[in-house]
Amino acid sequence: MALQPLYTDALTKATLVCEDWLNKICTSKYNPFYYHGALPQFFLWVLFLSGLLLFAYYVPTIDNAYASEHLINAYTSVKYITETIPFGYLIRGIHRYAGDAMVITIFLHALRVWFTDRYRQYRIVQWLSGIVLLALVFIIGQTGYYLVWDTRSLILTRMTVAAFGALGPIGDPLQWWFLNGRTITNLTLANFLFIHIGLSFSLLFGLWIHYVRMQRPIVTPPPVVNYVLFALVTLSVFLFPIDMPTMAQLAEQPTQFNIDWFFLWPYWLMSVFPPLVFWAIVAILTFLACYLPYMVKTPPILSAEVVDNKCTGCRLCSLDCPYAAIEMVPAPAGSRFKLLATVMPYRCSGCGVCVGACAFDAIDLPDLLDSDVTAKIKALAAQA
Amino acid sequence: MAPRIINLVCERSCDLTDHVDENGKLKDVDGAYVVKYPCSGMIQPLQIEAALKAGAQGVIVTGCQLGDCYYREGNKMIRERILGDRPPGLKKAVDRRRVIGLWLSRIQPERFIGEVKEFSSFISNLPSEPAAAAGAAKAER
Repeated sequence: MALQPLYTDALTKATLVCEDWLNKICTSKYNPFYYHGALPQFFLWVLFLSGLLLFAYYVPTIDNAYASEHLINAYTSVKYITETIPFGYLIRGIHRYAGDAMVITIFLHALRVWFTDRYRQYRIVQWLSGIVLLALVFIIGQTGYYLVWDTRSLILTRMTVAAFGALGPIGDPLQWWFLNGRTITNLTLANFLFIHIGLSFSLLFGLWIHYVRMQRPIVTPPPVVNYVLFALVTLSVFLFPIDMPTMAQLAEQPTQFNIDWFFLWPYWLMSVFPPLVFWAIVAILTFLACYLPYMVKTPPILSAEVVDNKCTGCRLCSLDCPYAAIEMVPAPAGSRFKLLATVMPYRCSGCGVCVGACAFDAIDLPDLLDSDVTAKIKALAAQA
Repeated sequence: MAPRIINLVCERSCDLTDHVDENGKLKDVDGAYVVKYPCSGMIQPLQIEAALKAGAQGVIVTGCQLGDCYYREGNKMIRERILGDRPPGLKKAVDRRRVIGLWLSRIQPERFIGEVKEFSSFISNLPSEPAAAAGAAKAER
Protein backbone atom coordinates (compact mmCIF):
# COMPACT_ATOMS: atom_id res chain seq x y z
CA MET A 1 0.00 0.00 0.00
CA ALA A 2 1.85 3.11 -1.21
CA LEU A 3 1.58 6.09 1.05
CA GLN A 4 1.83 9.56 -0.35
CA PRO A 5 5.10 10.86 -1.83
CA LEU A 6 7.57 12.68 0.35
CA TYR A 7 6.92 16.28 -0.61
CA THR A 8 3.26 16.09 0.37
CA ASP A 9 4.17 14.19 3.51
CA ALA A 10 5.58 17.33 5.15
CA LEU A 11 2.54 19.32 3.97
CA THR A 12 0.18 16.69 5.38
CA LYS A 13 1.89 16.83 8.75
CA ALA A 14 1.82 20.64 8.79
CA THR A 15 -1.92 20.55 8.02
CA LEU A 16 -2.52 18.01 10.76
CA VAL A 17 -0.56 20.08 13.31
CA CYS A 18 -2.79 23.10 12.54
CA GLU A 19 -5.91 20.98 12.83
CA ASP A 20 -4.76 19.33 16.03
CA TRP A 21 -4.32 22.80 17.49
CA LEU A 22 -7.78 23.83 16.27
CA ASN A 23 -9.27 20.61 17.67
CA LYS A 24 -8.07 21.67 21.11
CA ILE A 25 -9.99 24.93 20.78
CA CYS A 26 -13.23 23.85 19.15
CA THR A 27 -13.22 19.99 19.35
CA SER A 28 -13.26 17.74 16.31
CA LYS A 29 -17.02 18.00 16.04
CA TYR A 30 -16.90 21.72 15.23
CA ASN A 31 -13.50 21.96 13.56
CA PRO A 32 -14.22 23.94 10.37
CA PHE A 33 -11.39 22.10 8.57
CA TYR A 34 -13.42 18.91 8.85
CA TYR A 35 -16.17 20.59 6.83
CA HIS A 36 -13.88 22.35 4.36
CA GLY A 37 -15.92 21.22 1.37
CA ALA A 38 -19.21 22.27 2.94
CA LEU A 39 -18.04 25.83 3.73
CA PRO A 40 -18.15 27.18 0.13
CA GLN A 41 -21.46 25.37 -0.27
CA PHE A 42 -22.82 27.29 2.74
CA PHE A 43 -21.66 30.59 1.25
CA LEU A 44 -23.33 29.59 -2.03
CA TRP A 45 -26.71 29.51 -0.24
CA VAL A 46 -25.95 32.89 1.40
CA LEU A 47 -25.12 34.30 -2.04
CA PHE A 48 -28.25 32.87 -3.64
CA LEU A 49 -30.48 34.33 -0.95
CA SER A 50 -28.85 37.77 -0.73
CA GLY A 51 -28.62 37.86 -4.53
CA LEU A 52 -32.34 37.19 -4.78
CA LEU A 53 -33.03 40.18 -2.54
CA LEU A 54 -30.73 42.43 -4.59
CA PHE A 55 -32.30 41.18 -7.82
CA ALA A 56 -35.68 42.45 -6.65
CA TYR A 57 -34.48 46.08 -6.83
CA TYR A 58 -31.75 45.94 -9.47
CA VAL A 59 -32.35 47.65 -12.84
CA PRO A 60 -30.06 46.31 -15.59
CA THR A 61 -29.85 49.38 -17.83
CA ILE A 62 -27.36 52.19 -18.35
CA ASP A 63 -29.71 55.05 -19.23
CA ASN A 64 -33.15 56.35 -18.49
CA ALA A 65 -35.06 53.47 -19.94
CA TYR A 66 -38.18 54.26 -17.95
CA ALA A 67 -38.37 57.93 -18.91
CA SER A 68 -38.60 58.92 -15.32
CA GLU A 69 -37.81 62.36 -14.02
CA HIS A 70 -34.73 60.98 -12.35
CA LEU A 71 -32.15 58.79 -13.92
CA ILE A 72 -32.93 55.16 -13.22
CA ASN A 73 -30.18 52.78 -14.22
CA ALA A 74 -27.98 50.05 -12.83
CA TYR A 75 -25.86 52.48 -10.84
CA THR A 76 -28.72 54.44 -9.31
CA SER A 77 -30.58 51.23 -8.46
CA VAL A 78 -27.51 49.93 -6.63
CA LYS A 79 -27.24 53.32 -4.91
CA TYR A 80 -30.92 53.06 -3.99
CA ILE A 81 -30.36 49.59 -2.54
CA THR A 82 -27.32 50.81 -0.61
CA GLU A 83 -28.57 54.14 0.69
CA THR A 84 -32.36 54.11 0.78
CA ILE A 85 -33.70 50.61 1.37
CA PRO A 86 -33.52 49.70 5.08
CA PHE A 87 -30.65 47.23 5.57
CA GLY A 88 -30.03 47.32 1.83
CA TYR A 89 -26.35 48.14 2.42
CA LEU A 90 -26.17 45.11 4.70
CA ILE A 91 -27.58 42.74 2.08
CA ARG A 92 -25.30 44.18 -0.59
CA GLY A 93 -22.32 43.94 1.74
CA ILE A 94 -23.15 40.35 2.67
CA HIS A 95 -23.45 39.50 -1.03
CA ARG A 96 -20.04 41.03 -1.68
CA TYR A 97 -18.17 39.53 1.26
CA ALA A 98 -19.85 36.12 1.11
CA GLY A 99 -18.42 35.94 -2.43
CA ASP A 100 -14.95 36.74 -1.13
CA ALA A 101 -15.41 34.22 1.68
CA MET A 102 -16.46 31.61 -0.87
CA VAL A 103 -13.20 32.09 -2.78
CA ILE A 104 -11.18 31.86 0.45
CA THR A 105 -12.95 28.68 1.56
CA ILE A 106 -12.66 27.12 -1.91
CA PHE A 107 -8.91 27.70 -1.74
CA LEU A 108 -8.72 26.23 1.77
CA HIS A 109 -10.68 23.24 0.51
CA ALA A 110 -8.44 22.77 -2.54
CA LEU A 111 -5.22 23.22 -0.57
CA ARG A 112 -6.34 20.80 2.11
CA VAL A 113 -7.26 18.02 -0.31
CA TRP A 114 -3.95 18.63 -2.07
CA PHE A 115 -1.85 18.69 1.09
CA THR A 116 -3.51 15.59 2.53
CA ASP A 117 -3.24 13.73 -0.80
CA ARG A 118 -6.95 13.42 -1.42
CA TYR A 119 -7.19 14.72 -4.97
CA ARG A 120 -6.05 12.05 -7.40
CA GLN A 121 -6.77 8.55 -8.72
CA TYR A 122 -10.34 7.64 -7.71
CA ARG A 123 -10.93 11.30 -6.78
CA ILE A 124 -9.98 12.68 -10.19
CA VAL A 125 -13.55 13.61 -11.16
CA GLN A 126 -13.88 15.66 -7.97
CA TRP A 127 -10.59 17.48 -8.63
CA LEU A 128 -11.30 18.30 -12.29
CA SER A 129 -14.91 19.35 -11.66
CA GLY A 130 -13.60 21.46 -8.80
CA ILE A 131 -11.35 23.37 -11.22
CA VAL A 132 -14.31 24.03 -13.51
CA LEU A 133 -16.38 25.17 -10.52
CA LEU A 134 -13.62 27.53 -9.37
CA ALA A 135 -13.33 29.04 -12.85
CA LEU A 136 -17.11 29.53 -12.91
CA VAL A 137 -16.99 31.19 -9.48
CA PHE A 138 -14.35 33.65 -10.74
CA ILE A 139 -16.38 34.51 -13.85
CA ILE A 140 -19.60 34.91 -11.85
CA GLY A 141 -17.85 37.10 -9.29
CA GLN A 142 -16.32 39.29 -11.97
CA THR A 143 -19.64 39.82 -13.73
CA GLY A 144 -20.99 40.88 -10.34
CA TYR A 145 -18.52 43.76 -10.42
CA TYR A 146 -19.74 44.83 -13.90
CA LEU A 147 -23.30 45.05 -12.63
CA VAL A 148 -22.67 47.95 -10.22
CA TRP A 149 -21.96 50.15 -13.25
CA ASP A 150 -19.53 52.50 -11.57
CA THR A 151 -16.25 53.61 -13.13
CA ARG A 152 -14.68 50.29 -12.13
CA SER A 153 -17.35 48.38 -14.05
CA LEU A 154 -16.61 50.46 -17.13
CA ILE A 155 -12.87 49.78 -16.94
CA LEU A 156 -13.44 46.05 -16.34
CA THR A 157 -15.84 45.84 -19.29
CA ARG A 158 -13.40 47.60 -21.62
CA MET A 159 -10.46 45.50 -20.41
CA THR A 160 -12.44 42.30 -21.01
CA VAL A 161 -13.36 43.44 -24.53
CA ALA A 162 -9.71 44.24 -25.25
CA ALA A 163 -8.59 40.85 -23.90
CA PHE A 164 -11.14 39.03 -26.09
CA GLY A 165 -9.84 41.03 -29.05
CA ALA A 166 -6.50 39.24 -28.81
CA LEU A 167 -8.08 35.84 -29.36
CA GLY A 168 -7.99 35.96 -33.16
CA PRO A 169 -10.96 34.47 -35.00
CA ILE A 170 -12.98 33.69 -31.85
CA GLY A 171 -12.24 37.11 -30.35
CA ASP A 172 -14.76 39.04 -32.41
CA PRO A 173 -17.77 36.79 -31.72
CA LEU A 174 -16.81 36.68 -28.05
CA GLN A 175 -16.77 40.50 -27.92
CA TRP A 176 -20.15 40.64 -29.62
CA TRP A 177 -21.62 38.08 -27.26
CA PHE A 178 -20.09 39.76 -24.20
CA LEU A 179 -21.45 43.23 -25.04
CA ASN A 180 -24.60 41.85 -26.64
CA GLY A 181 -23.82 44.00 -29.68
CA ARG A 182 -20.97 46.12 -30.97
CA THR A 183 -21.05 48.78 -28.26
CA ILE A 184 -22.09 49.16 -24.64
CA THR A 185 -25.87 49.58 -24.55
CA ASN A 186 -28.77 48.76 -22.25
CA LEU A 187 -28.63 45.26 -23.71
CA THR A 188 -25.08 44.87 -22.40
CA LEU A 189 -26.20 45.20 -18.79
CA ALA A 190 -29.06 42.77 -19.38
CA ASN A 191 -26.48 40.32 -20.73
CA PHE A 192 -24.20 40.82 -17.72
CA LEU A 193 -27.13 40.15 -15.40
CA PHE A 194 -27.93 36.97 -17.29
CA ILE A 195 -24.32 35.75 -17.15
CA HIS A 196 -24.14 36.53 -13.44
CA ILE A 197 -27.36 34.76 -12.48
CA GLY A 198 -27.51 32.11 -15.20
CA LEU A 199 -24.00 30.85 -14.56
CA SER A 200 -24.58 30.73 -10.81
CA PHE A 201 -27.32 28.17 -11.41
CA SER A 202 -24.91 26.14 -13.51
CA LEU A 203 -22.84 25.83 -10.32
CA LEU A 204 -25.53 23.47 -9.04
CA PHE A 205 -25.02 21.20 -12.04
CA GLY A 206 -21.25 21.35 -11.50
CA LEU A 207 -21.72 20.46 -7.85
CA TRP A 208 -23.78 17.43 -8.82
CA ILE A 209 -20.81 16.18 -10.88
CA HIS A 210 -18.55 17.11 -7.96
CA TYR A 211 -20.59 14.94 -5.56
CA VAL A 212 -21.73 12.10 -7.80
CA ARG A 213 -18.86 9.76 -6.87
CA MET A 214 -19.37 10.19 -3.15
CA GLN A 215 -21.85 8.53 -0.87
CA ARG A 216 -23.31 10.94 1.69
CA PRO A 217 -21.24 14.03 0.77
CA ILE A 218 -20.94 16.49 3.65
CA VAL A 219 -22.70 19.56 2.26
CA THR A 220 -23.75 21.29 5.47
CA PRO A 221 -21.43 22.37 8.27
CA PRO A 222 -22.85 22.17 11.82
CA PRO A 223 -25.21 25.12 12.49
CA VAL A 224 -22.78 26.66 14.98
CA VAL A 225 -20.08 26.88 12.30
CA ASN A 226 -22.64 28.46 9.94
CA TYR A 227 -23.60 31.08 12.53
CA VAL A 228 -19.98 32.00 13.22
CA LEU A 229 -19.14 32.28 9.52
CA PHE A 230 -22.23 34.34 8.82
CA ALA A 231 -21.40 36.60 11.77
CA LEU A 232 -17.87 37.09 10.40
CA VAL A 233 -19.24 38.07 6.98
CA THR A 234 -21.73 40.48 8.59
CA LEU A 235 -18.99 41.93 10.76
CA SER A 236 -16.77 42.61 7.75
CA VAL A 237 -19.62 44.59 6.15
CA PHE A 238 -19.29 47.08 9.02
CA LEU A 239 -15.50 46.87 9.32
CA PHE A 240 -14.89 47.42 5.62
CA PRO A 241 -17.90 49.41 4.37
CA ILE A 242 -18.54 49.16 0.63
CA ASP A 243 -18.08 52.47 -1.12
CA MET A 244 -20.36 53.87 -3.80
CA PRO A 245 -17.89 55.40 -6.28
CA THR A 246 -18.96 57.51 -9.23
CA MET A 247 -21.27 56.40 -12.00
CA ALA A 248 -19.77 55.11 -15.25
CA GLN A 249 -19.75 57.73 -18.01
CA LEU A 250 -19.27 56.24 -21.46
CA ALA A 251 -17.55 59.41 -22.68
CA GLU A 252 -14.83 59.16 -20.04
CA GLN A 253 -11.65 57.10 -20.04
CA PRO A 254 -11.07 56.14 -16.39
CA THR A 255 -7.80 54.30 -15.77
CA GLN A 256 -7.71 53.42 -12.07
CA PHE A 257 -9.88 51.38 -9.73
CA ASN A 258 -9.74 49.64 -6.35
CA ILE A 259 -9.03 45.99 -6.86
CA ASP A 260 -10.72 43.07 -5.08
CA TRP A 261 -7.89 40.57 -5.12
CA PHE A 262 -10.16 37.58 -4.64
CA PHE A 263 -12.00 38.06 -7.92
CA LEU A 264 -10.25 40.71 -9.96
CA TRP A 265 -6.66 39.42 -9.94
CA PRO A 266 -6.93 38.50 -13.67
CA TYR A 267 -7.45 42.20 -14.40
CA TRP A 268 -4.23 42.97 -12.60
CA LEU A 269 -2.52 40.45 -14.93
CA MET A 270 -4.21 42.13 -17.91
CA SER A 271 -2.92 45.51 -16.81
CA VAL A 272 0.66 44.21 -16.48
CA PHE A 273 0.97 41.87 -19.49
CA PRO A 274 -0.08 42.11 -23.13
CA PRO A 275 -3.37 40.29 -23.85
CA LEU A 276 -1.79 37.22 -25.47
CA VAL A 277 0.60 36.76 -22.55
CA PHE A 278 -2.37 37.11 -20.20
CA TRP A 279 -4.25 34.30 -21.96
CA ALA A 280 -1.08 32.21 -21.99
CA ILE A 281 -0.78 32.63 -18.19
CA VAL A 282 -4.44 31.67 -17.71
CA ALA A 283 -3.98 28.62 -19.94
CA ILE A 284 -0.80 27.54 -18.13
CA LEU A 285 -2.38 27.93 -14.68
CA THR A 286 -5.40 25.89 -15.78
CA PHE A 287 -3.21 23.21 -17.31
CA LEU A 288 -1.03 22.96 -14.19
CA ALA A 289 -4.09 22.63 -11.96
CA CYS A 290 -5.50 19.86 -14.18
CA TYR A 291 -2.14 18.11 -14.50
CA LEU A 292 -1.33 18.17 -10.78
CA PRO A 293 -3.03 14.82 -9.99
CA TYR A 294 -1.05 13.09 -12.75
CA MET A 295 2.33 14.38 -11.56
CA VAL A 296 2.44 11.94 -8.65
CA LYS A 297 3.29 8.42 -9.77
CA THR A 298 2.04 5.68 -7.48
CA PRO A 299 1.09 2.10 -8.27
CA PRO A 300 -2.50 1.70 -9.45
CA ILE A 301 -5.11 0.86 -6.86
CA LEU A 302 -6.16 -2.79 -6.71
CA SER A 303 -9.91 -2.57 -6.44
CA ALA A 304 -12.01 -4.79 -4.19
CA GLU A 305 -13.23 -8.06 -5.67
CA VAL A 306 -16.52 -9.80 -4.99
CA VAL A 307 -16.53 -13.57 -4.43
CA ASP A 308 -19.62 -14.22 -6.54
CA ASN A 309 -20.69 -17.53 -5.00
CA LYS A 310 -20.48 -16.14 -1.45
CA CYS A 311 -22.33 -12.85 -2.01
CA THR A 312 -25.84 -12.95 -0.55
CA GLY A 313 -26.94 -9.66 -2.09
CA CYS A 314 -27.50 -8.06 1.35
CA ARG A 315 -26.41 -4.60 0.04
CA LEU A 316 -24.39 -3.70 3.16
CA CYS A 317 -21.15 -3.13 1.20
CA SER A 318 -22.94 -1.04 -1.41
CA LEU A 319 -24.59 1.11 1.28
CA ASP A 320 -21.36 1.63 3.21
CA CYS A 321 -18.95 2.25 0.30
CA PRO A 322 -17.88 5.90 0.71
CA TYR A 323 -17.31 6.30 -3.05
CA ALA A 324 -20.50 4.72 -4.39
CA ALA A 325 -18.28 2.18 -6.14
CA ILE A 326 -20.44 -0.90 -5.52
CA GLU A 327 -23.53 -1.46 -7.59
CA MET A 328 -26.11 -4.15 -6.84
CA VAL A 329 -27.11 -5.98 -10.01
CA PRO A 330 -29.65 -8.80 -10.47
CA ALA A 331 -28.05 -12.09 -9.46
CA PRO A 332 -27.27 -14.52 -12.31
CA ALA A 333 -29.79 -17.22 -13.10
CA GLY A 334 -29.63 -20.15 -10.72
CA SER A 335 -28.48 -18.07 -7.74
CA ARG A 336 -30.28 -18.47 -4.45
CA PHE A 337 -30.28 -14.71 -4.01
CA LYS A 338 -31.85 -11.78 -5.80
CA LEU A 339 -28.89 -9.41 -6.01
CA LEU A 340 -25.16 -9.54 -6.57
CA ALA A 341 -22.62 -6.87 -5.63
CA THR A 342 -20.34 -5.61 -8.42
CA VAL A 343 -17.41 -3.23 -8.03
CA MET A 344 -16.79 -0.31 -10.40
CA PRO A 345 -12.98 -0.47 -10.35
CA TYR A 346 -12.42 3.15 -11.50
CA ARG A 347 -14.32 4.39 -8.46
CA CYS A 348 -12.75 2.03 -5.92
CA SER A 349 -10.24 3.50 -3.45
CA GLY A 350 -9.11 0.14 -2.08
CA CYS A 351 -9.97 1.24 1.46
CA GLY A 352 -11.70 -1.98 2.43
CA VAL A 353 -14.79 -0.47 4.07
CA CYS A 354 -16.79 -3.03 2.08
CA VAL A 355 -14.71 -5.83 3.62
CA GLY A 356 -15.61 -4.52 7.07
CA ALA A 357 -19.26 -4.38 6.03
CA CYS A 358 -19.40 -7.97 4.76
CA ALA A 359 -20.32 -10.63 7.30
CA PHE A 360 -20.13 -13.36 4.66
CA ASP A 361 -16.49 -13.05 3.62
CA ALA A 362 -17.72 -12.33 0.11
CA ILE A 363 -15.62 -9.26 -0.78
CA ASP A 364 -11.87 -8.88 -0.54
CA LEU A 365 -8.96 -6.59 -1.31
CA PRO A 366 -6.71 -8.61 -3.64
CA ASP A 367 -3.53 -7.50 -1.83
CA LEU A 368 -4.84 -8.00 1.72
CA LEU A 369 -7.23 -10.92 2.17
CA ASP A 370 -9.34 -10.61 5.30
CA SER A 371 -8.83 -14.32 5.98
CA ASP A 372 -5.06 -13.65 6.16
CA VAL A 373 -5.62 -10.70 8.50
CA THR A 374 -7.86 -12.79 10.76
CA ALA A 375 -5.27 -15.59 10.80
CA LYS A 376 -2.56 -13.07 11.75
CA ILE A 377 -4.73 -11.66 14.54
CA LYS A 378 -5.41 -15.14 15.91
CA ALA A 379 -1.72 -16.06 15.76
CA LEU A 380 -0.68 -12.88 17.60
CA ALA A 381 -3.44 -13.30 20.19
CA ALA A 382 -2.64 -16.96 20.80
CA GLN A 383 1.15 -16.88 21.29
CA ALA A 384 1.78 -16.79 24.99
CA MET B 1 2.68 -10.95 33.07
CA ALA B 2 1.62 -8.07 30.84
CA PRO B 3 -1.81 -8.61 29.26
CA ARG B 4 -1.88 -9.41 25.56
CA ILE B 5 -3.40 -6.54 23.62
CA ILE B 6 -4.16 -6.64 19.91
CA ASN B 7 -4.14 -3.23 18.18
CA LEU B 8 -6.08 -3.02 14.94
CA VAL B 9 -4.64 0.15 13.44
CA CYS B 10 -5.45 2.17 10.33
CA GLU B 11 -2.14 2.94 8.62
CA ARG B 12 -3.34 6.48 7.80
CA SER B 13 -3.95 7.27 11.46
CA CYS B 14 -1.09 7.58 13.97
CA ASP B 15 2.25 6.87 12.34
CA LEU B 16 3.73 3.80 14.07
CA THR B 17 6.58 3.12 11.61
CA ASP B 18 9.25 3.65 14.29
CA HIS B 19 7.34 1.93 17.07
CA VAL B 20 6.54 -1.51 15.64
CA ASP B 21 9.02 -4.32 14.88
CA GLU B 22 8.75 -6.72 11.95
CA ASN B 23 6.62 -9.18 13.96
CA GLY B 24 4.05 -6.52 14.71
CA LYS B 25 5.18 -6.08 18.32
CA LEU B 26 4.75 -2.62 19.76
CA LYS B 27 8.25 -1.83 21.10
CA ASP B 28 7.15 0.52 23.89
CA VAL B 29 4.48 -1.65 25.56
CA ASP B 30 4.89 -5.27 26.66
CA GLY B 31 2.33 -7.68 25.27
CA ALA B 32 0.92 -5.22 22.71
CA TYR B 33 0.83 -6.19 19.03
CA VAL B 34 -0.18 -4.19 16.00
CA VAL B 35 -2.09 -5.33 12.91
CA LYS B 36 -2.28 -2.69 10.20
CA TYR B 37 -5.20 -2.00 7.89
CA PRO B 38 -5.45 0.42 4.95
CA CYS B 39 -8.46 1.97 6.72
CA SER B 40 -10.11 1.31 10.07
CA GLY B 41 -13.36 0.77 8.13
CA MET B 42 -11.92 -2.55 6.91
CA ILE B 43 -11.88 -3.98 10.45
CA GLN B 44 -14.56 -6.64 10.85
CA PRO B 45 -16.26 -6.95 14.24
CA LEU B 46 -15.70 -10.69 13.78
CA GLN B 47 -11.95 -10.06 13.89
CA ILE B 48 -12.30 -8.30 17.25
CA GLU B 49 -14.21 -11.32 18.56
CA ALA B 50 -11.63 -13.67 17.02
CA ALA B 51 -8.79 -11.87 18.82
CA LEU B 52 -10.52 -12.10 22.21
CA LYS B 53 -11.45 -15.72 21.61
CA ALA B 54 -7.91 -16.66 20.60
CA GLY B 55 -6.56 -15.38 23.90
CA ALA B 56 -6.10 -11.63 23.68
CA GLN B 57 -7.08 -9.80 26.86
CA GLY B 58 -7.96 -6.60 25.09
CA VAL B 59 -8.46 -5.09 21.62
CA ILE B 60 -7.80 -1.50 20.61
CA VAL B 61 -9.24 -0.19 17.37
CA THR B 62 -7.43 2.88 16.05
CA GLY B 63 -8.67 5.06 13.20
CA CYS B 64 -8.19 8.62 11.98
CA GLN B 65 -9.56 11.58 13.96
CA LEU B 66 -13.36 11.46 13.88
CA GLY B 67 -14.47 13.75 11.07
CA ASP B 68 -11.24 13.28 9.16
CA CYS B 69 -11.08 9.76 7.73
CA TYR B 70 -8.67 9.65 4.78
CA TYR B 71 -11.19 7.43 3.00
CA ARG B 72 -14.05 9.66 4.14
CA GLU B 73 -16.11 7.37 6.39
CA GLY B 74 -14.11 4.34 7.57
CA ASN B 75 -13.64 5.47 11.17
CA LYS B 76 -17.32 6.40 11.45
CA MET B 77 -18.30 2.94 10.13
CA ILE B 78 -16.16 0.90 12.54
CA ARG B 79 -17.14 3.13 15.46
CA GLU B 80 -20.83 2.53 14.73
CA ARG B 81 -20.18 -1.19 14.27
CA ILE B 82 -18.48 -1.46 17.65
CA LEU B 83 -21.34 0.45 19.25
CA GLY B 84 -23.82 -1.85 17.51
CA ASP B 85 -25.45 0.95 15.51
CA ARG B 86 -24.47 -0.36 12.09
CA PRO B 87 -24.59 -3.91 10.74
CA PRO B 88 -22.60 -6.08 11.02
CA GLY B 89 -22.15 -5.04 14.66
CA LEU B 90 -19.98 -6.35 17.45
CA LYS B 91 -21.81 -9.15 19.29
CA LYS B 92 -23.50 -8.05 22.50
CA ALA B 93 -21.83 -10.92 24.35
CA VAL B 94 -18.38 -9.39 23.87
CA ASP B 95 -16.94 -7.95 27.07
CA ARG B 96 -17.08 -4.21 26.36
CA ARG B 97 -14.45 -3.42 28.96
CA ARG B 98 -11.88 -5.13 26.74
CA VAL B 99 -12.55 -3.23 23.52
CA ILE B 100 -11.75 0.46 23.04
CA GLY B 101 -11.54 2.81 20.06
CA LEU B 102 -8.90 5.51 19.58
CA TRP B 103 -9.24 8.22 16.95
CA LEU B 104 -5.83 9.74 16.29
CA SER B 105 -4.15 11.63 13.48
CA ARG B 106 -0.74 10.74 11.99
CA ILE B 107 1.12 13.08 14.29
CA GLN B 108 -0.08 11.43 17.50
CA PRO B 109 1.92 8.19 18.00
CA GLU B 110 2.95 9.30 21.53
CA ARG B 111 -0.68 9.73 22.50
CA PHE B 112 -1.33 6.24 21.08
CA ILE B 113 1.41 4.65 23.18
CA GLY B 114 0.20 6.45 26.29
CA GLU B 115 -3.33 5.17 25.74
CA VAL B 116 -2.14 1.60 25.11
CA LYS B 117 -0.16 1.67 28.38
CA GLU B 118 -3.16 2.96 30.29
CA PHE B 119 -5.47 0.36 28.71
CA SER B 120 -2.92 -2.36 29.48
CA SER B 121 -2.83 -1.48 33.17
CA PHE B 122 -6.63 -1.20 33.22
CA ILE B 123 -6.90 -4.69 31.71
CA SER B 124 -4.45 -6.22 34.16
CA ASN B 125 -6.58 -4.89 37.03
CA LEU B 126 -9.75 -6.49 35.68
CA PRO B 127 -10.93 -9.59 37.59
CA SER B 128 -8.85 -12.39 36.13
CA GLU B 129 -10.15 -14.23 33.11
CA PRO B 130 -13.54 -15.59 32.50
CA ALA B 131 -15.00 -12.33 31.17
CA ALA B 132 -13.41 -12.56 27.70
CA ALA B 133 -13.63 -16.32 27.45
CA ALA B 134 -17.17 -16.35 28.77
CA GLY B 135 -18.12 -13.66 26.29
CA ALA B 136 -16.64 -15.61 23.43
CA ALA B 137 -18.30 -18.81 24.60
CA LYS B 138 -21.65 -17.09 24.82
CA ALA B 139 -21.15 -15.72 21.33
CA GLU B 140 -20.66 -19.23 20.03
CA ARG B 141 -24.01 -20.47 21.17
